Amino acid sequence: MKKTLSYLVAGALALSLTACSNPPADDKNSITVYAGRSESLVQPLIDSFQEETGIQVEVRYAGSAELAAQLLEEGQNSPADVFFAQDAGALGAVSKAGLLVQLPDSILEKVPASYSAADGSWIGVSGRVRVLNYNPQKVSQLPQSVFDLAEPEWKGRIGIAPTNASFQAFVTAMQVIEGDAKTLQWLEAMKENAVLYEKNSAILEAVESGAIDAGLINHYYWFARGQEVGFENLTSKIGQFASGDVGNLINAAGVGIVADSKAARQFVEYLLSETGQRYFADQTSEYPLIDGVSAPVDLTPLAEIPAPAIDLNDLDRLDQTLDLIRAAGLI
Amino acid sequence: MRKAPALVVALGVFAALVTTVPIGYLAVRLVQGWQLALAEILRFRTLELLGNTGLLVLAVTASALVIGFSQAWLTTKTNVVFASGFAVTAALPLAIPSYVMALSYISIFNGLSGFFAAWLVLTLATSPLVFLAVTAALARLDSSSEEVARTLGLGRLQVLFKVTWPQVRTAATASGLLVALYVLGEFGAIALLRYDTFTRAIYNAYRGSFDRTSAAALAVVLLLITLLVIWFERKYRGGYVASKKQLGKKLRVELGAWRLPAALWLGLIAIFSTALPISSLIIWSIQGSANLDLKVLLDALWGSVQLAGLAGIGIGIFGTAIALWSIRYRSRLGQVVEWSSWAIHAVPAIVVGLALVFFGANVTPWIYQTSWLLLIAYLILFLPNALAGLATPIAQVPVLLEEVSQSLGVPANKSMVRVVLPIALPGIVAAVSLVGLTVLKELPATLLLRPSSLNTLATRLWGATEDLAYSQAAPYALLLVIIAGLPALALNLQARRALSEVRS
Repeated sequence: MKKTLSYLVAGALALSLTACSNPPADDKNSITVYAGRSESLVQPLIDSFQEETGIQVEVRYAGSAELAAQLLEEGQNSPADVFFAQDAGALGAVSKAGLLVQLPDSILEKVPASYSAADGSWIGVSGRVRVLNYNPQKVSQLPQSVFDLAEPEWKGRIGIAPTNASFQAFVTAMQVIEGDAKTLQWLEAMKENAVLYEKNSAILEAVESGAIDAGLINHYYWFARGQEVGFENLTSKIGQFASGDVGNLINAAGVGIVADSKAARQFVEYLLSETGQRYFADQTSEYPLIDGVSAPVDLTPLAEIPAPAIDLNDLDRLDQTLDLIRAAGLI
Repeated sequence: MRKAPALVVALGVFAALVTTVPIGYLAVRLVQGWQLALAEILRFRTLELLGNTGLLVLAVTASALVIGFSQAWLTTKTNVVFASGFAVTAALPLAIPSYVMALSYISIFNGLSGFFAAWLVLTLATSPLVFLAVTAALARLDSSSEEVARTLGLGRLQVLFKVTWPQVRTAATASGLLVALYVLGEFGAIALLRYDTFTRAIYNAYRGSFDRTSAAALAVVLLLITLLVIWFERKYRGGYVASKKQLGKKLRVELGAWRLPAALWLGLIAIFSTALPISSLIIWSIQGSANLDLKVLLDALWGSVQLAGLAGIGIGIFGTAIALWSIRYRSRLGQVVEWSSWAIHAVPAIVVGLALVFFGANVTPWIYQTSWLLLIAYLILFLPNALAGLATPIAQVPVLLEEVSQSLGVPANKSMVRVVLPIALPGIVAAVSLVGLTVLKELPATLLLRPSSLNTLATRLWGATEDLAYSQAAPYALLLVIIAGLPALALNLQARRALSEVRS
């Protein structure tokens, strides 16, 4: 009995030694990145960054919102050097708490100002477009506006994801362009008409399976699914609303620096280099944001998307958006 | 009144101090934004959430008690066919994380959502907790009073309700408490099935609006509900009584004409709780096995196993100390310690995780983002699971044996180690297994607190579902179920051991 116990204790100690490695010291040659984007997607790019520069990158993967909450709790003592987020909202929240460093102009000027923070605290890395995902057998004529989805004919046919960050950013844009009253009216109609989902991917799945006729998602979900199963095997299509409609909003995933260092800047520059931008265009069918790198051939060029005229910086009033979504009873 | 050994007190007090970290964190958040917090609580929505949450907790607890108790009684006390096979299928859902159960149900029944869906999935996921606790209690039950009742002319059902039930009530209500608190703190399945509860609102406050004050306000309300539930359970169940008897003979109930319906009932539950989710996982896994990276899979498996092993052993040690303290020494302080570890149990893992992020990054940076802090989080989250499993085996060690040992000149503390612990050891091992398998399934706190390079099956599963690739998530889910299935089966064997000892 005693012998078994001592083996157990020794085993436990041995295990604990392997499980408890301290994070590396923050010298100039290693950085910690909090990444809200998926590992399978960005790790290959980070690997090639490490090879090219010799800078060690420790990456912490989790959801963008959870990482933002984590950064807010860590405050000034965060081990993170860089925050690479899925959406502008998460970056905005961290920026508002004063936890992001002002980026140098040499970085900021790479990307059109409308895809970065007004105060220069974060910068867009790749663009995505809101689209209508629809089943062509059930939807013969595309609605002209996202507001058409409020009509009774759409009852039970349209899917939305009210807790999803991209959907909320889109509602914020609607408030900015169309005003609170009209937005609330639309949301209330959605409470009547829409089937609610947790994520974009679940909407796509429901449109594919025929459970609903159409849904509001980001464009790259459809491309990712097409690449997984073959575009010829997709039942659904994606389409845009009429020119200038808020349903065509262009948004961006972005990056901010938490603790300034040469290595951290090099990392951000790498994401915005031709290699980095080409990588996002090819791997995720997202839009490159720097000049000189073109979008994948099967994607409508960003300049030709009939997007509403809006500055991404105006999308930081999430509190008011949530109030409206709550008032409509969607969350 | 005997005094508890210093080691027991030290372990207990440490565990209690650790549980005050999340409570202190909530207090900090509330003080910083009390006006906002008050506004959040006083919204009509809070009342709505309260109604939703209460309804789900009551419904799931009631149905899990009925299902778990019926499974336990039928497989241990009656002549139902395939009793040991049905016992396995009753314990196995414990190995399936509730979010995996929800995912597989959604994949089978497209568009499943709302109260009914949440009730169904959570009932199936939690009834094994009741089944195991009641089986263990029934298997160790002395049948002489049942026999007396039968000879006095009571019917089978009357014996069940008037004689058997009162004797296992403590175990049943304690497991009912675990079920209720599980439902209060559950997020993954509830989000997938789109039913609004307090915990979902707390997650949404963090994820949608980065609103830590509203989240904290809601978490405090949840904490108060938890205390209410615990108080209710304590009032109803009464105390554990140390057994004075040795194991006795078992009485077996002849079901007669009810043998077939009873087997059908158990079979029906087995189909919904085990066969359906596991077969859907297997189908997905076959689809997803083509792009599976075996090295990544093994790496995640090793991460899961070492965390679950360490957490199980560590929490087992703390739990044993606290259980000894509150049962064998019955001190006021020991009971305070036990209460404090229960109180935090239904607070969602994301709140506990963020509290430790706040504490770790700012107060104890040397353990931040190491496995140590993660293990502390597991201690806070799952100590009550261990306590629920430990109370019965420790209480059932006959006090007489300890008294004999002391009368032979062995000091009290030594008698505890030499006599009580070895006899309770199988029960302690069972509690450790239960904690280990719960740790295997944990996700939110693991994501927030793990060392950046450490991956587990659960975090890989999460990553794959974020990538929208369910088929790629399935092999991780399946392996998780298999690994967690081992302790689940061991628990089942353990619970039924006393049964076979007497029968053979």
